Amino acid sequence: MTESGAAFCGRTRREMLWETGAGFTGLGLTGLLSADGFFGKAAAASEEQPFVNPLAPRPGHFAGKAKSVIFLFMYGGPSQVDTFDYKPKLYELDGKTIAVKTKGRGGSKNEGRVVGPKWNFKQYGQSGQWISDLFPNLATCADDLAFIKSMTADSPIHGSAMLQMNSGKIQSGSPCLGSWINYGLGTENENLPGFVVMLDPTGGPISGAKNWSSGYMPASYQATVMRSGGTPILDLARPEDLTESAQRRLLDSLQSYNREHEATRNHNSNLAARIASYELAFKMQRYAPEATDFSQETAETLGLYGVDKPQTESFGRQCLLARRLVERGVRFIQIYSGGSHNDDNWDAHGDLVKNHTYHAGRTDLPIAGLIKDLKQRGLLDETLIVWGGEFGRQPTAEYAEGTGRDHNAYGFTMWCAGGGIKGGSSVGETDELGSAAVQDRFHVKQLHATILHQLGIDPNRLSYFYGGLDQKLVGVEEVEPIRQIIG
Amino acid sequence: MCSIATDLRRPEFRSFFAAAVFCQFAAVGRSWRFVPLLVMLIGFTPGMASADTASLPEADLQFYQSQVAPLLEVHCNKCHGADSKFRGGLDLSSRQGLMTGGDSGPAIDADAPESSLLLDAINYRGLEMPPAGKLPAAEIAVLTEWVRRGAPLPVQTTSRTKHEEGPPKAADHRGHWAFRPVVSGPVPEGSPADWGNSPIDAFVWQQLTAAGLEPTKQADRRALIRRAYFDLTGLPPTLAQVDAFVRSPDPRAYEHVLDELLASPQYGEKWGRFWLDLVRYAETNSFERDGAKPEAWKYRDYVIASFNSDKGYDRFLMEQLAGDELPDASKETRIATGYYRLGTWDDEPSDRTQALYDELDEIVATTSQVLLGLTVNCARCHDHKIDPISQRDYYQTLALFQDVAPDGHRTSPYELVDLSDSPVVAAYRERDAELGRIRHRLHELEQAAIARMPGVDQRRTETDQRLQVLNEKLAQFQSAEEGAEYRRLRDELVAWEQKQLPPRELAMGVATASANPRPTHVLIRGNPHAPGAEVEPGFLEVLSGVPSAGSITPAATSSGRRLHFARWVTQPDHPLTYRVYVNRIWQQHFGRGLVRSASNFGLKGDQPTHPELLDWLTAQFIRGGFQTKPLHKLIMLSKTYQLSSEPTEDQLRVDPANDLLGRFDLRRLSAEELRDTMLLVSGQLNLKLGGPSVYPAMPAEVLAGQSQPGQGWQTSPEAAKAANRRSVYVHVKRSLLLPLLSSFDFPDPDGSCAVRFATTQPTQALSMLNGRFANEAADEFAKFAAREGGHDQPSVVRRALETAFSRPATQAEVIRGLKLVNELITEEGLTAEAALSRFCLMVLNLNEFVFVD
Repeated sequence: MTESGAAFCGRTRREMLWETGAGFTGLGLTGLLSADGFFGKAAAASEEQPFVNPLAPRPGHFAGKAKSVIFLFMYGGPSQVDTFDYKPKLYELDGKTIAVKTKGRGGSKNEGRVVGPKWNFKQYGQSGQWISDLFPNLATCADDLAFIKSMTADSPIHGSAMLQMNSGKIQSGSPCLGSWINYGLGTENENLPGFVVMLDPTGGPISGAKNWSSGYMPASYQATVMRSGGTPILDLARPEDLTESAQRRLLDSLQSYNREHEATRNHNSNLAARIASYELAFKMQRYAPEATDFSQETAETLGLYGVDKPQTESFGRQCLLARRLVERGVRFIQIYSGGSHNDDNWDAHGDLVKNHTYHAGRTDLPIAGLIKDLKQRGLLDETLIVWGGEFGRQPTAEYAEGTGRDHNAYGFTMWCAGGGIKGGSSVGETDELGSAAVQDRFHVKQLHATILHQLGIDPNRLSYFYGGLDQKLVGVEEVEPIRQIIG
Repeated sequence: MCSIATDLRRPEFRSFFAAAVFCQFAAVGRSWRFVPLLVMLIGFTPGMASADTASLPEADLQFYQSQVAPLLEVHCNKCHGADSKFRGGLDLSSRQGLMTGGDSGPAIDADAPESSLLLDAINYRGLEMPPAGKLPAAEIAVLTEWVRRGAPLPVQTTSRTKHEEGPPKAADHRGHWAFRPVVSGPVPEGSPADWGNSPIDAFVWQQLTAAGLEPTKQADRRALIRRAYFDLTGLPPTLAQVDAFVRSPDPRAYEHVLDELLASPQYGEKWGRFWLDLVRYAETNSFERDGAKPEAWKYRDYVIASFNSDKGYDRFLMEQLAGDELPDASKETRIATGYYRLGTWDDEPSDRTQALYDELDEIVATTSQVLLGLTVNCARCHDHKIDPISQRDYYQTLALFQDVAPDGHRTSPYELVDLSDSPVVAAYRERDAELGRIRHRLHELEQAAIARMPGVDQRRTETDQRLQVLNEKLAQFQSAEEGAEYRRLRDELVAWEQKQLPPRELAMGVATASANPRPTHVLIRGNPHAPGAEVEPGFLEVLSGVPSAGSITPAATSSGRRLHFARWVTQPDHPLTYRVYVNRIWQQHFGRGLVRSASNFGLKGDQPTHPELLDWLTAQFIRGGFQTKPLHKLIMLSKTYQLSSEPTEDQLRVDPANDLLGRFDLRRLSAEELRDTMLLVSGQLNLKLGGPSVYPAMPAEVLAGQSQPGQGWQTSPEAAKAANRRSVYVHVKRSLLLPLLSSFDFPDPDGSCAVRFATTQPTQALSMLNGRFANEAADEFAKFAAREGGHDQPSVVRRALETAFSRPATQAEVIRGLKLVNELITEEGLTAEAALSRFCLMVLNLNEFVFVD
C-alpha cells in the first residue's frame, strides 16, 4: 500500500471519520464510506432523502444463508443433563457422592452428590435426537435442531457469563452480538430497529442494559427493548392528547422553520439529515405498532404459539412478534426466558424440578410453534434460531439436600435451527456425567463465529477500531465457525 | 506446543482471552509490513518440503511416519504445523521448533522427557491440548513414546522463519514527530492587516493561502456570542446578554465576555465534563450488581473546581496520580486520587488474579491514552504491533501502579479515604475493628448452624430471606454455648453500632497503598497465571530521552512509584503530555483536534494538520504555567475561531472537510448542553453547584430492563424535581444511563472517550417529540415565556422563539408560529394553553435550537 493508504491502517475509515467529529452524515463522507464497501447505494445521500442511516443495509463479506437471527436466551442457565444431553449413567448414580471437579457460584469442589436427571429422555425424529420430557413439543422438531453439546464459557458467574454470551467479553463496555450484526449488515427496514430485545415479565437479566448495549460503538447500534403489547418502543407513542394530524401540523411547522434555517447553511448535511430523521420517526410511529398488532393472525397461528393458553401466552406472544419482526426485516431479535433473580429464571439452585418444569412449560410450545410457523412460511431457511443460556449446570447437588444444581461453564448444551444449519445433527460430547465438555469442545466465540458466518460475515474480518485496536467480536485469534452443524 | 495462545479451553486462560483487550494488528493486507510474509506464505506449499531422513535411525523414522505424523496432522498441524501460523509461537514441524518451544517454553525437555511440557499439555495437566478435547489414551501413549525417544523428527529442508518482521523498535522511532521536543518555531509573516494578528491566524493563513484559499467572513456578533457561551459554559446567552454585547461600543467587549464566562462557575461544569469523558467517570462498578461507589461525586466536584480555579495542568495530573504521596497532600489531593477508582471492577470475579490485572490494565490504558496519547494497553499480550512499545514497557508501566490496593469484594467493596481529623479517625478505626471482629464471629456461628439446617433453608439463607430463617431457626441448630455467645455478641454489636461518633469526611480514592508492592512480571501472552521475567517500574523506552526527576523513594504508606511517574509525566519538556492536552482543548473548541486521533499520537495516529501551530500553542501553554483559561482566550480571540460557519464556494471545492480551518464548523449541542438548555429556557434549571448526584425521572420502560427495577436509582417525584440540575450532576450508573443523554451520544463510561459521536437518528426525534421530559419542558417553557414576555399568544410565541434562538424573531417567524397555534386550536381542538405548549415543543425541536453556528 502507499503511504497515504497506510495512514488508514489499523482503523476503519468509519472510525477515522468519527474522529473528525463529523459523524455519519457529515459532508462528503458518503462517497468515502461507499468506496469502503460499508455503505451500499441505498445509503448514499440522494436529493430527496439526505438522511444517511447508519443502519442502512449493506452487503456482508459473502452471501449468507441467514438474514435474521432469533436468539432465545434461557437466562440463568438450563441444566444440560435434564434437557438435551442424555447421560444414562447419571440416573444410577443419583444420591451417590462421587469425585468430580466443579466450579460454580459456590466455588470449586472436587466431589459432590449426584442428582440424577429428573426427566426421562427419548429419541425423536429421523435423526433420533435425544430430548427430555421437558420439551414434548420441541421434540417434534428434532430433525430441525442442531445440538452443540460441548459448549464452554469462561465464567460460572451470571453477570460476566451473560456479558460473554452477549458481547464476547466478560467485562462490560463492548458491543453486543446484535450491535455487531447491525454494524456489519445494517437493517432492512428503516421503520423498525435492527436489534430488538424482549424481556421476561419478571424483569431484565442481571446487568440489565449492559446485555444489549452497543458499548464503544455509537448508540445507533444498541438494542431497542420491545414489548409485545402496549407501546412497543420507548417514546413511540404520541402524548395522549396529540393526534396524528396534530403532530403532523407540528412537524410541518417544524420543517418549515428548519428549511429556512438550512437555506443559508445548505452545505451542511447534518441539518438535512436531522430534518429527514423526523420524517422517519413519524413513519416509525405508524409502522412499528403494526408489527405488534396480532389482529390479522389466525386462531390457528395463535394456538401454534400457545398465545391462547395462560402458561405460554407471554413467551408465545414474544415468539410470534419475533416472527413478525423477521418478516419485516429486523436483523437480530433476542428473547429472554427468565428475568430478575433466583427462580424467576432458569437458575435452579433450590428445587430443580419446580424450576425447570416452570420455565420449560412456558417456552416449549411457543418455541416449537415458532420453528413450525417459520418453516411453513418458508422463512426458517433464512432465520437462524439459537437457544441456550449463559452456561449450564452441574451434575451434582449444590447443597446437602435437594435437587438444586450450581452453575457450570465447563460444559453445556445449546442448539441452533434454521438459517442454513444442519437440522437433526449434534456435535460434541461431555463426559459421562455431563460435567465437562471432552469431545469437540467449543467456546462461546465459536458460537458467535457460527452466527456471523451464517449471516455472511467473516467473523475474523468484522472489526471496529477502538482504543488503538481493531476490535472483533470473536477476539484476537482467528476463530472458525462450528462447521459440523453447518448445512 | 502447549501454547497458551491456542489453549482457549483452560478456564483461567479462557477468562484471560475474554478479558484481555483483544489486540489485533491491522488486518493482513492493509499493512505493508505484512507483505513479505504473505509472499512467503503464498510461495510455500507442503509439497515443497522434503525431509532429510538420512540422520534418523530407521526404527524412529518409521515410528514417526507411521504413527506420530498422522496424529500430528489430525490434531496439531492446523495451528502448529509447517504451514500454520504457529499459534502461541509453537512450531511442531521442526526439531528446533520443538526445542525452542512457544510462548510457554520448550515443548520437549531433552534431559527429562517425561517432564516435557508437550506431555503435560496432552494430558491436560495445566495446559490443555488439543483444545477440542483430550486425545484417546492410545494416542497419548504414542506421543508419550515419541517424546520418550527424544522426539525424533525428519529434518525439514524447507523452513521459514517463525515470526514476521518484528514489531517496531524504540531506537528506530525516537524521531517520530510526537516524540520530539516541542519546538516553538517562528510565526509566519505575511498575513494581511485585516486578518487577525494572533499567531494562530498567521499559521492558519499560511496553510489556507498555500492551498489557494481564503478564510470565510467573520461570524456576526450574535452568532459569535452564542458560540462563545456554549463553548465556555455549555449554556446559551439570554437575549439581554446578546443585546448588550451587540450594542456595546467597547472594542474589547468580546474579550470582556470571555473573561466573564471563564470566571463563571458554569465554566467548570462544562469543561470538567470533558475530563470526565476521558477518565471514564461513572459512579458504579458495572458487572452483576453495578453497585454505587460511595463518594464518587467528590472526584467529579474536584474536577469541576480544578477547572474553575484554573489549576495548572501539571498540578492537576500530579494530584490525581499521586495526591496521597505529595509533600503537600491535602483533602483535595486525596480526593483527586479517586482517579484510580473510576473504572469497572468485578466484585465477584471467577478468577481474582485475572480481575486484578484487568483493573490494572484499565489504569494503564486510561493513563497512557489520556495523558500520553499512546495505546500502551496494546502491548499487554505481546509487543505493540504498530508503535515502538514493548510488552516489557507495558509491565514496567503497570508496575508504577501496583502499590494501589485493589477494590475489595462483594461484601466489603470499598475502602474509603478518611479525611477527618485524627481523633475522629482513631475513634472510627476502633469501632470498625470491633464491628469487624464481632460480625466475623457472628457469621461463623451462623454458618456453623446453617450447615446443620435442611437444604431448603440453607438455600433461603442465600436470599433476602436470610434474616427470617435466622430469626426462626438459628437457635434450634445451635448448642447452648453457641447460643449464649451469639446473643452476647449481638448485644455488643448493637452497642457499638449505636455508639455516637463525630461525623467524618470520607472520599473515594487511594486509601491504602503498599510501600513494597507485589513484584511485577511480564505476563506471557498477557496471562496472569504465566509470569515471565520480573520487571522494575519504569517509563517507556522510546521516551527514555525524557529524564526522570529524581528516583523512586518509598514512603511509609506508598511505594513512591506514582509520585515518580507523576513528576516524570509533568516535566515541562515532556514531548507528549502538553501537546496531547493542548490538542484536546483545541478539539473541544473546533470539534476536532489539530491531531484528529486525540488519544493516539503514535505512529499510526493522525499527523497534525497544523504541526507548527500545535507546537507554538503548546509552548505558549508551558511558558504560561500550564493554565487552561489563558489558552481558551488565546484560541477564542483569534480570528480563526471567530469565523462564520458559512463556507466559501472555493472552500467547499478544495477543502470540503475544513482541514485548513477556513471556516468554523457548525455543531450540534452535546447531550448535556441539550438537556441543560431545555431546562434553562423553560425556567427549570437549578444552577446549584456540586454535591451528591441527582436522579432525573427514568422512564418505567427503562427501569423494567433491570433485574430489580429501580435498583440503584431514586425514583420518587421529589428526587426527579431535585434533578433539574446541570447534567454533569446526573448520577452515572453504568447499566442505567438516562436515555435522553445516551441517545444524544453521551459516551459509554466503561472506556475512555476522546471524541464523542454525533449521531442523527430517529430515536432522538421520538424522545424529543414524545418523551416525558421534552413534553414537560415544553409545558414549562410556555408558562415561562408567558411570565417573561406577556400572556397573549403573539408575545408567548415571540418570546419562546427569541429565548430559543438568542436573537430577535422576525415577524414572519412569529406569524408562522401563530399559524401553528391557531391550527392546533381550531382544527385539532386543543385548548389555547395546550396549543402554546405544543408550539414550544416544536421550538425545542428546531435545528436552530439544537445547532450552534
